[in-house]
Formats: sequence, structure tokens, C-alpha cells
Amino acid sequence: MSISKEVYKIFESVVGSSYVSDDPVICEGYRSGPGGYENGLGYERVMTRVPGCVIMPRTTEEVSRIVKVCYRYDIPYVPYSTGFYGPRSHPHVEDALLIDLKRMNDFVLDEKHFYVEVGPGMIYSPIQEECMRHGAYVVIGGGGAQASAIANLIGDGWSPLSHRIGLPHRRILGTELVLPDGEILRLGSLATGDDPFWGECPGPDLRGLLRGYTGLRGCLGIVTRMAIKTLPFQPERLEPTGISPDTALALPENRIKWINFTVPSKEAQVKAMREIGHAEIGGAVTKVPLFWRAIAKAECKEDFWDIWGKENEESVANFFIVRVLLIGYTSEEQMAYDERVLMDIMTELGGVARRTKPSDESWIKNADSAGMWLMCGGYVSVDYVIETLTQSPVHGPSYAELKKKYTPPLMPDYGDPGWFQSFELGHQGYSEFLIYWDQDDDTHPVDQFYVDTSKMNIKNRYYTSLLGPHQPLYLTGPKYGPNYHQFLLKVKDEFDPKWRSHPPVPLAHDVFVNRAPWMHDMKDWDSPKDLPK
Amino acid sequence: MTAELPVRYYRPKPEFKLDIADIQNFVYDMSRCIKCKGCTWVDHTYMPGARFMTRCPSATKYEFDAYGAYGKMRIGHAMAEGLLEWNEKAVEIVYACTLCGACDVGCKRNLDLEIELALESLRVKAVQDGVGPMPAHKQIAQNIAQYHNSFGADPTKRHAWMPSGITPAQKADVLYFAGCSASYVNPEIARSTVKILNAAGIQFMLLAEEWCCGNILFSVGLLDQARELARRNLEEVRKTGAKALLVSCAEGYRMWKVDVPKLLDMATDDLGFKVVHLVELVDEAVKNGDLTFKKPLNTRLAYHDACSLGRLSDPWTPYEGKRGWMGCVEPRLKRRRGAHGLYAQPRDILRAIPGVDLVEMPRTRENAFCCGAGRGTQEAFPEFASWAAAHRMEEVTEIGAETLVSACPWCKSNFARAIKAGGDAVVVQDISEVICAALEA
Repeated sequence: MSISKEVYKIFESVVGSSYVSDDPVICEGYRSGPGGYENGLGYERVMTRVPGCVIMPRTTEEVSRIVKVCYRYDIPYVPYSTGFYGPRSHPHVEDALLIDLKRMNDFVLDEKHFYVEVGPGMIYSPIQEECMRHGAYVVIGGGGAQASAIANLIGDGWSPLSHRIGLPHRRILGTELVLPDGEILRLGSLATGDDPFWGECPGPDLRGLLRGYTGLRGCLGIVTRMAIKTLPFQPERLEPTGISPDTALALPENRIKWINFTVPSKEAQVKAMREIGHAEIGGAVTKVPLFWRAIAKAECKEDFWDIWGKENEESVANFFIVRVLLIGYTSEEQMAYDERVLMDIMTELGGVARRTKPSDESWIKNADSAGMWLMCGGYVSVDYVIETLTQSPVHGPSYAELKKKYTPPLMPDYGDPGWFQSFELGHQGYSEFLIYWDQDDDTHPVDQFYVDTSKMNIKNRYYTSLLGPHQPLYLTGPKYGPNYHQFLLKVKDEFDPKWRSHPPVPLAHDVFVNRAPWMHDMKDWDSPKDLPK
Repeated sequence: MTAELPVRYYRPKPEFKLDIADIQNFVYDMSRCIKCKGCTWVDHTYMPGARFMTRCPSATKYEFDAYGAYGKMRIGHAMAEGLLEWNEKAVEIVYACTLCGACDVGCKRNLDLEIELALESLRVKAVQDGVGPMPAHKQIAQNIAQYHNSFGADPTKRHAWMPSGITPAQKADVLYFAGCSASYVNPEIARSTVKILNAAGIQFMLLAEEWCCGNILFSVGLLDQARELARRNLEEVRKTGAKALLVSCAEGYRMWKVDVPKLLDMATDDLGFKVVHLVELVDEAVKNGDLTFKKPLNTRLAYHDACSLGRLSDPWTPYEGKRGWMGCVEPRLKRRRGAHGLYAQPRDILRAIPGVDLVEMPRTRENAFCCGAGRGTQEAFPEFASWAAAHRMEEVTEIGAETLVSACPWCKSNFARAIKAGGDAVVVQDISEVICAALEA
């Protein structure tokens, strides 16, 4: 049902008339596509809607009041920090209320205790700048420097710096959220006082509920405040240089530098990452897809295709790079020691250091996810896999093989196996597979590929992190856990019995498969007849 | 059953021109916005911290996504599709924007999208559809039609600013185009400029009848009037045989260098003369030794990068081509990414003045926060313009500057109003005045 005048007046009384609007032009400004992450696909076309109303709260109390109104009057709502995450963070039903959290951009830095406290409107790059001024740093997630830190941390929140600084579950401290019915819940030390220094307790650690649910899609409520652990950094300033589009951070190479190595094989890549982790050196260790190098070199889209057009299956198959970021956290001498250890490791493995720019364009302050669109119109990371360091490099080639069936419309990448790296000093490995397409092409095969990857993962028994709202839950759920879907749905029913928070997530992809005729042949699993239509 | 929405993927036509008269030329650009808000945030590499995070005045003040370029791209795309109608809010969204170019430069850091041109085209569409421009702009258009200046002032007094003791030449290589603002509202800028030329021994001439450059007409989408004026103005300048057209107004600089060629479907290089801002001329003269600063100006000084002198000033070349797979264009298009703005010259000049302690604001160069006045914004949205200037003044206060300098009369006037309203103890000057004072000219 559309939002009535009566309810609209209540919203005005909560935030003031300047911060709520149901004007169709204002609402159109919040449309998911047609461009952007995972846009230009059937999922976006079939599942997303322009909101019926937009509201911009400033405080947790305002959010709570808004959500209570929604719950009372059966108004579906979706929380929205930056809207960068594509269709899945936009309304999926008519006349939804979009709760734009950009005004909640408070920021506090606790230098002594090494954490920052932020609201959902706060993005990564200013956080990083403030941290670095105070001898600390955070991970800027692969989603980019423009991502909301809260939204990113309750969803993904990793980057090459996760080699040392770990995954978000280690860094989320006291957290406050508004539950789907409007009740305010405080986790960790915030539950017992106003100091957010610790994330666990009392009782079971509910942060896992947020992250395990890929909570940024907002179906278990709205996170309104979070303290994030920072880690000590080296003290010298990283000076920004250049004029757009050629901007970068100049690195004081006595305290921080990237070194790119070529190594003879994939096995050597994996071994290098493991050894570097075991030696407990390096701030980042990663291997990236070869086409990212083409993006970095290209001055325009046409340039990219000139450069990329010179590659082939052989050049891609023989491209083994390991990028290492050394950081002299404690001293120049510590960094010099780390570099000697690194060179020893690489020498043993046949690695050769290549000429590397003394600057950072990505990942310290500007994770350049926006640049990844340079050569196309549509992009998505079709999966994030956290496995052992040995298993994660196996995952990428399996995607590359499956992808051949769907190329075109997928971009030709000559079998590039994607991005993999070490997490947490080699305790885990990470693999991410990225796909690109021209959204003016027939993109139905891209939708099909997406689900086909799930079937491949199930068959090969790969664990992937996008089991929930990104894939049909009734396909993946029975195979993981087992019956992971039942657990998710019980949790959802417990916290949001009316399913007002971002409906029909977590069943959105199931609904999509049912709605889209080009997906019907993909469906070879059972799902209930009473799925939302 | 499919719930697919009708006509959601309005396909851009493959053939296109960088011609703002037809919004269909920018459907591709509007449809590829990825909502990264690079158009709004300061370049992340230069992000100064938790304060001063943004460089789009419209998005920062009005906060709904619709007011940022990312929202306007979606709105424009829906309008081009014929799925969204104009209303009062839409007209406000399109015009409550200084067209400062922050969005264009921010987007083009990573992508090949013509955001500024799409926004200009939306304004043209507003006029074509009979809903634009704003009433204040219509008054300006009338003033220009009747009095050949945007203020409706007496055209016979256009050169009344000329100081005694300086006589323009009948014929010279340099034609000084003072512009409406320096002629009628900020005569101190025009006076300072000619005194500087005099001190440098540079002869200059004036147009016998200098008319408005058409900046506001063009900026608000009144393309036909702007084009007619551009044609007339270009002919008059060419008749003089000038080798260089000198301006001391950033808006005039952009208009002559970029938008006159754009209107007349020609390249900047084909104008027949060079468009030069005073800072370029002075910078060269100082480096050549033709000008020497004698008088110290003991002040802690901040320089504000005027948008039209910086990110909007890359020269113009017309383009027509075809777009194929993955959006690749043929022939190859060298995009204007705002990399050639006049950032160094004013700074070099100011640093050369003895006693000047030049300090940078948190947002500089292509990240500068627009003063809020330009391209018709101050006239139609005075409250927005005041807000933007007051917001920028927070940076001036943050760095403890005593003097704020810019290279545009619109910036100067707007900052002066903000300083007066805020009671700040900051002196605002145009760079021509600072140079003049240091020369003791």
C-alpha cells in the first residue's frame, strides 16, 4: 500500500519536512540502475523498484521511530547508506520507504584505545585519513573508499590489507542497531554502558548474526553506530600527489612500499603467500587479475581494449604476480628486516622483483573499485570465497572454465582466474571472481551464469560467502549447513515476523528465478509454493 | 510471470555528438552512472578528513540523492526515456547547481562519462520543454537583449571603469574583455587589470562595444540567444585582429575558451586568437622579469580555485562518432578531464609576492568547493549561493587565513557577502588587486 498522508505527516514530525519526500523526481533519483554494480541485469530489471518515499534521519532515535512507524503501518523499508551496492540494496517492492542514512556521518577517533566510532553515513577514505594522522590505519574494503564503512563491514570488508589486519569480525567493536520492529539493540560493551571498546558479550556474539546474514542488505535491521578497531601504522605522511585523473599517494619508501614480484607458477604464488604469512611480515599480499593492470595503464576505455586485446590464453595462464606491501610499523629497521626476509622467500621460490611505482593508487586510502568499470558498463564480483590458502586458488580457474559457456556476453578474459590472496597471515586464502558485460547486450546469460556458479560450488563442495541473499536460498540452503536456509529463515522470522525490513530478502533471488522466464530452465531444485510473488 | 518493468533499458543510439542541444546524445552517459559518488566526494586520495569531505555544493546542501549528479543522471535518463515528467522539484533540482564541474572531473577520474555535458543538456531540455530557465534567468536574458549586459545597466557606461592616465590603444595584439561584472559591479578588477598591463608595458585595446559574453544565457540552457550572442561577439573580436583575448573573470575565460566554440561547433584552436586569463599573463611576465613585485603584502593568504579557471577550462573540440561494444567510441575521443586548469599560475604569482604566506585550504585545485555564485546560481538561488560561500569560508577559518583571494569577480562578490553576513575578519580580494598592490602600480 502506498504511504498515506497521515503516515507521511508522522514521518515529517520525526525528521522535519526538509528531510522526507515522496516527490516522484526525488524518488527517481534513488533508482538502482541502469548503471552500477550488478546493474544492467535481469535481477535489477525484475526486482528493483523506485522507492515510494525517502527519509533522511540524523540519529538512532529517529531511525527507531521511523522503523516503528513502518512496523505499525506495514510499510516496507530499506536502509541505504550510499547506494553503491547495486540492486540488492535498493527497494524490491512498490511503495517502500528508503531510509537514507547519509546524515548519520558522525565520527569519533579514540587515539589512545585505537578505535573509531562511526555512523552509517561515514565512508572509508576520511576515516583512513583521520586514522593515519593519528598513527593508525583501517582496511578499506574492496567495495571502495566510497563505501559506507558500516555497510561494508557487516557485509564483506576485506582487501589486500586483510593479509595482516584480518577480517571484519575481528574489528567490529561495540555496535548499535535498530531491529526490524524498531527496538534498539546494543552489542558488546555498548550493552552495559556507553563505551564501545569491545564487540563481544554479553551472551552469544550477535555480530555473527549480522555478518553471517550479509546484514548490509538490511534484512535484520539497521546498524546506526559502530566502533571499529584500528591498528598502529607507521608515522610518516603519505602525501597525495597529482591532478585528477592521475592522483596517487606518494610513499615514503623507508617506511612503506609496494613490491611487485613475478614468480614462476601458481604453486609459487601460493607458497609465497604462505611463507610471507608464516614469517609474519608484510601489510598486504595479493595477486590480482591481469586485466586490472590493463585498467591501471589505460587512459580511456578504448586504450584498455587495445592493451587487453594483446593478451591471450597463454599470456594470462603464465601471469603469476605477487604484490607485497611492506610497512615499517615500528621502525625503518623493522621494514628493512621484513624486506630481507621477503627477498629470501622470493629468491627461494624463483620470484623476481619488478619495477614498482613508489606510490599507492589503491589500497591504502583509495580502493579504486570505481575504476574497475572503465572498460564496460556492468560488473559484479560473482563470488567471494574464503577457504584455505591452498584451496582458494583452485576456485578461480573453475569459474573461468564455467564462464566460457557464457562468453559472450561476458567479457573475454582468456581464462583469467580472478583475484586471490592471503588473509590473516596465511590462515585463510581468499578468492574473488569478477565478471564484466555490456549492459546493452542480451544479459540473460549473465543471470544464468550467476546461478550456475552456485551449482558448480555445490558440486565441487566450495564454501562461498554469498550463499544467502545473492543466490536462491532454496538452492544453496539445503546443501550447506546442512539446511542453512532453515536457520536463516527462522532467524528472519524471529526478528522480523512481518518481513518489513527489505522484503523479500533473503528470498529475493528465489523470487527472481520464479519471476524471470529466462531463469526457469535453470531451476532444478524445490522451493515452496508460497514464495512471495 | 515476469514483473519486468517496461522500457527500463532505454538503449542509447550508437551515433552521437557531444551536442547538448539533444539529450539523446547523453543517454549512454546517464545510463552508465555507477553511483560511486566520485562526483560528490573529494578525490579519495586527497580526502582531507572527516570535515570537508565533499566537493558538490548541491549534494552537500540539499542531501537527497536527486541533487547530486548521480541522482540527476537517473532523473535525466528517465526523462530521456519519456518516463518522468517535469515538475517544480525537477526544475529546482536541475537549476540548483552551479555547473561547477566537480562532478565531471570526479567521474572522469575513473570513467569515460560526460556528466557536465549531460547536466548542460538537461537545462537545454528544460528550456525546450518550456519549464526553464528560472524567472531570475529570464530577467537576465531580457537585460542582455536590451542592454547587452546581465545587470540591465547603462550600456554607454560600460567602460566607465577606465582609470585616468591609462588609454587603450586603437590597435594592439591584446584585447581586454572586461566582462559585465568587472564593468559594472567590480570595477576595481578591471582597473587593476589595466594598471597591471600598463606596468608590464603591454598595450591593449577594448571592443568599441563590448557586450555580455553570454555565460549565463548558455549556462541556463538558452542556447539560441547564447549562440547568437557568441556569433556576434566572435565576429567583433576577430574584426579587431587581436591575437589574444585577455580576461580577468574566470566565467568569461571559460565562456570564451570552451563554450563559445561549443556553441558554434568549432574548436578552441579555431577561434583565431588565444584566450588568456590575467593569471597566465602575469605569471609569464613575472617569470620573464617583465614584472617585479616591489611592495610586500604581509598576510596569511588562501587562494580559492575558481571552477571556470580550473576544472572547467580544458579547451573544446567538437566530436561526432559512433559507440560500439562496451561503449567504445570511434573515432577515438580525447576526453576533457579537467587536468589542464590554471592551478599553478596563481599560486606561483602569490608566492612571488614578498610577505605573502600562502596556505592551502583542505580542498584545492580540482577538489575546490565552488563558491556557489556562478553560472546563474546566485541570481536564482541566492540562499544556496550564500550557503556555499559560508561553507567554503569554514575552510578559510580552519587554516587561519587573513586574506582570501580568487580570480573571478563572482567569487569575490559572493565571498564578500558571506564575510559580511558571518562577521568574519577576512579580507577578500581579486588576484588582480593583489598583484596591482604588490606592483605599486
